[in-house]
Amino acid sequence: MNVLFVSAILGVLLMLSSLFIKHRAYIHSLALIGLAVLFAINLAEFNGWLLFEMDLSGMLRFDRYALVMNAIVLASFFFYLLLSGSAMEKVGPHYADYLALLFFICSGLFMVTGFESLLILFLGIEIISIPLYILTGSDKRNLKSNEAALKYFLLGSFSTGLLLLGIAFFYGARGNFIATASVDPTVMSSSLQLAAVLLLLFAMSFKVSVAPFHFWTPDVYDGAPTVFTSFMATIVKGALFAAFVRLFEDTFSPQFSLWQPWVAGFIVLTLLIGNLTAVFQQSVKRMLAYSSIAQAGFMLLAVYAINGDSKEGLLLYAASYSLATIGIFAVLVYLQDHTFEGFNGLAKKQPIVAASLAIFFLSLAGIPLTGGFLAKLFMIKAALAYQPWLAIVSVVMAVVSVSYYFRVIQAMYFRTDAQSSSIEFPKSLSIGLFITALIVVLLGIFPETILGLLYF
Amino acid sequence: MQSSFQLAFLIPLLPLIGFLINGLGRNWHSKQWSGLIGSGAVLGSFVISLLVFQSVEAGQDAVIAYFDFIHVEGLHIPFAFQLDALSSLFLLIITGIGLLIHIYSIAYMREESSSSFARYFSYLNLFVFSMLLLVLGSNYVVMFIGWEGVGLCSYLLIGFWFKNQEYTKAANKAFIMNRIGDLAFLLAIFWLVIKTGSASFSEVFDFILANEGTAKFTATDLTVVTLLLFIGATGKSAQLPLYTWLPDAMAGPTPVSALIHAATMVTAGIYMIARSHVIYSMAPFTMSLISWIGLATAFLAATIALQQFDIKKVLAYSTVSQLGFMFLALGSGAYIAAVFHVFTHAFFKALLFLGSGSVIHAMGGEQDIRKMGGLSGKLKITYLTFMIGCLAIAGLPPLSGFFSKDAILLNAFLHHPLQYGLALFTAFLTAFYMFRLLFLTFHGSFRGTAAQQAHLHESPALMTVPLILLALFSIVSGWIGIPSVLAHDADWLSNFLSPVVGSVVHEVSHSTEWILMALSVGGVLLTIGFAWYKFRNYSATESKGVFRFFEQKWYVDQLYDKVVVKPIAYLGKLFNEWVEPHLIDAFVNRTGKTVQLAGKQIRFLQSGKIGTYVLFMVLAMVTVLLIQFFIRK
Repeated sequence: MNVLFVSAILGVLLMLSSLFIKHRAYIHSLALIGLAVLFAINLAEFNGWLLFEMDLSGMLRFDRYALVMNAIVLASFFFYLLLSGSAMEKVGPHYADYLALLFFICSGLFMVTGFESLLILFLGIEIISIPLYILTGSDKRNLKSNEAALKYFLLGSFSTGLLLLGIAFFYGARGNFIATASVDPTVMSSSLQLAAVLLLLFAMSFKVSVAPFHFWTPDVYDGAPTVFTSFMATIVKGALFAAFVRLFEDTFSPQFSLWQPWVAGFIVLTLLIGNLTAVFQQSVKRMLAYSSIAQAGFMLLAVYAINGDSKEGLLLYAASYSLATIGIFAVLVYLQDHTFEGFNGLAKKQPIVAASLAIFFLSLAGIPLTGGFLAKLFMIKAALAYQPWLAIVSVVMAVVSVSYYFRVIQAMYFRTDAQSSSIEFPKSLSIGLFITALIVVLLGIFPETILGLLYF
Repeated sequence: MQSSFQLAFLIPLLPLIGFLINGLGRNWHSKQWSGLIGSGAVLGSFVISLLVFQSVEAGQDAVIAYFDFIHVEGLHIPFAFQLDALSSLFLLIITGIGLLIHIYSIAYMREESSSSFARYFSYLNLFVFSMLLLVLGSNYVVMFIGWEGVGLCSYLLIGFWFKNQEYTKAANKAFIMNRIGDLAFLLAIFWLVIKTGSASFSEVFDFILANEGTAKFTATDLTVVTLLLFIGATGKSAQLPLYTWLPDAMAGPTPVSALIHAATMVTAGIYMIARSHVIYSMAPFTMSLISWIGLATAFLAATIALQQFDIKKVLAYSTVSQLGFMFLALGSGAYIAAVFHVFTHAFFKALLFLGSGSVIHAMGGEQDIRKMGGLSGKLKITYLTFMIGCLAIAGLPPLSGFFSKDAILLNAFLHHPLQYGLALFTAFLTAFYMFRLLFLTFHGSFRGTAAQQAHLHESPALMTVPLILLALFSIVSGWIGIPSVLAHDADWLSNFLSPVVGSVVHEVSHSTEWILMALSVGGVLLTIGFAWYKFRNYSATESKGVFRFFEQKWYVDQLYDKVVVKPIAYLGKLFNEWVEPHLIDAFVNRTGKTVQLAGKQIRFLQSGKIGTYVLFMVLAMVTVLLIQFFIRK
């Protein structure tokens, strides 16, 4: 629980830092150190070492699952800052403020991964959403950025309404907000309760961009500054999925048969729309937006199949998907041309960058020896326990995804650049990318290192 | 545990390190360093192998598990080594002969550029590593890793001079032939894992011993597994019908032929079957098949060797033939005799190959024995050691080959008299073609060019010292298995191996043994005399009739080409020209087109208008709620 408070304090500190620290590199280092501290605090919490204790019963519960998810969030955030920190400067002059907002989002993420009361879930989601609206519109002179922010805000408010209504029904049916409270079976089958389940399903589906509630995603991801798209599409999404699974496993598992078919339908729809639309995109950034929808379809399998495999799978999925996507976006920031042609001949000019990117795309496509493969394997195995056809659809869609991911690899390795413009990457970027790629591969070979944390 | 056993992990590790150093640093090392690192690594392994051997001889054995290699539900395959009589003996052969050949190679390969010199030594070390893994593994999976590794190294080394198209083809041939056998081996492992739930030797054997004949492990299972393992062995150990790669493998540098294609790798199949003797002893059908295949291979290869003119080809066919003898022994249940012959054969065949290398070296690369003759004057050490090798392989007492071959013949005699007769005849053929080789190469008058004659010289000490050492061992190595008829209680090898590889003990009267020995020794002497009469002064003549048939190697290569290669090539053409474009590509492209089309249509959902988005979402929610509350209820 300490991370929640410390991250909020760090956010405030960073916001104030711009008053005292002129040099941006120092602010950047401060943020990185802050993250390292947060990571250490989170790790200490595994062993029950706390800086300060507080009675949060009925509100927050930092169990093993939440702690592992927080560790993944922090590690991804660290790599995100390492790879994309300097790119943030290009967005606008308020560098420290952006970082502060990211840390506030982070504290929101810790709330949703560890919520016990639905009120906390709501608060957490709002704490995440409002800074995201701001960050989406942070490129103030860019019309697309403004448009995206407005769209995001309007549609986000709409889903917040759904969420609140769902929570209100929940309270109406049960008389409390506590997710894990045991409930009388008659209450469970009341209409009010059923409506609450469905409304919460809709609202959460919106937040993690599951079809048919995904419409905001391509426009917002495309319009937002690329650095922030990266953050939204990876770290935020992973943690929200953890909350999604937590809500439906802890609270709604008795109504399993009610919502499971709908989730299955959403999965199929999401996989189809995400993958098929991604095939047709010309811009890599937009392709990644659709790919993130498609990946959400896979992650939704964890909600669908509530069992051990799917939980492990989701953690692995969140880790490998986040790292790979962060890496890709980090390169994308530096490219002038966001189409597939922009990657032409990159392997010749920047062999390490290209090789790392290739590993990221292989992981996203789910090729063995990468974390993405095992993550998909866990998910599909979990689905197999209920519906074989769902597993088949997932596999077929994974195959479709190969076609658009490999287009980038093909461009990097087998096409030559016509205008031979040289792209300047900071040296630290290629090192950081290499390390990130290494971790993605290691996740595919030694998944126990992460999953073991769940049980030790 | 014995302290020497704790070092056992270093035995394969040292050559692996040598491989990495030489392989990665090949562009920076001088030749001295490469040679020193390569040989030093094997020397280290050899010393530790000696220590391990000593402990084993003192009655120790152990299975040492290092880490979990594969651990999934219900199946547990550790990365573990087995140290016992059988593996420690093979360790000595591999590292001992490997060391001599590394040293020899330093001189033999000195013409190479320093980077390809280092590449050579790195391959050689990798080979030694794989071979050690093969014999050390305590389960079929670790053995298979080594098995594949030696196949790979064999490929790399046969094609070492890869700029020569023919050599590359020979390397491909070896690799593909081996792969056929490997596939069978792999299937056998799968079969065993499925049926017994384990791949470890001890667990598999215990399971089969306990459940043989029941539904858990039927007689069919037993036959299938033993046959599959045997097919694997025919690939690696060059038996019918997969032997044709071995003669072509002579494209590699001569020390490679000595190490890989004579002394070590090709005996992997024999090791594997000896290791699995528990299950083989229960499968009489497979056993008799093995003995007949071994015998047929021995005979066929011996007849081909009669008419070859390439010095290395003769030796290659002789290797195939000797391997056939070993399989004959395995098939007769005489595992110890087979291992004994592996042991002695390793020395004299390595000696003969290195000797031939010395000859080729002196002749400036010439390998055709029709262009040699009378070399005994200039190459004294080579000549003498080569002669010892010939005497040993021909099986004259008291040289090593006599004892091991005698053990095989005796077992064949007890097993099947017809097999004995054929084996004896093949043994005479062996003596004949070996002495034909010796006389054509070293006796008579020189038949090469004047330039070659001027170039003739004895090889440097780095090459002759290994020759002398090997010659010494070719004489004495048979003395570890002297049968009781000659000396009481002198059969050390049987005592050493019998706890691991129990062989059938036959009661034979001493007089029978004496007669058999006299028969073979007398026959061999006569054959040598006949060879002397025939080849003392050689002049080239066209071979006729059945000899032409032998010279053309029974037309087996042509047969395989017609029956296997051509149809496969034709099938490939069919698939390439018709099936792929019209079926597979058509299907794949059509699928791709459909996906693209669908994507194109779905794309229009994303209109960019918030109103539309909300409308879609509301429609979706209303549909779900309506269905939920009015239909599903």
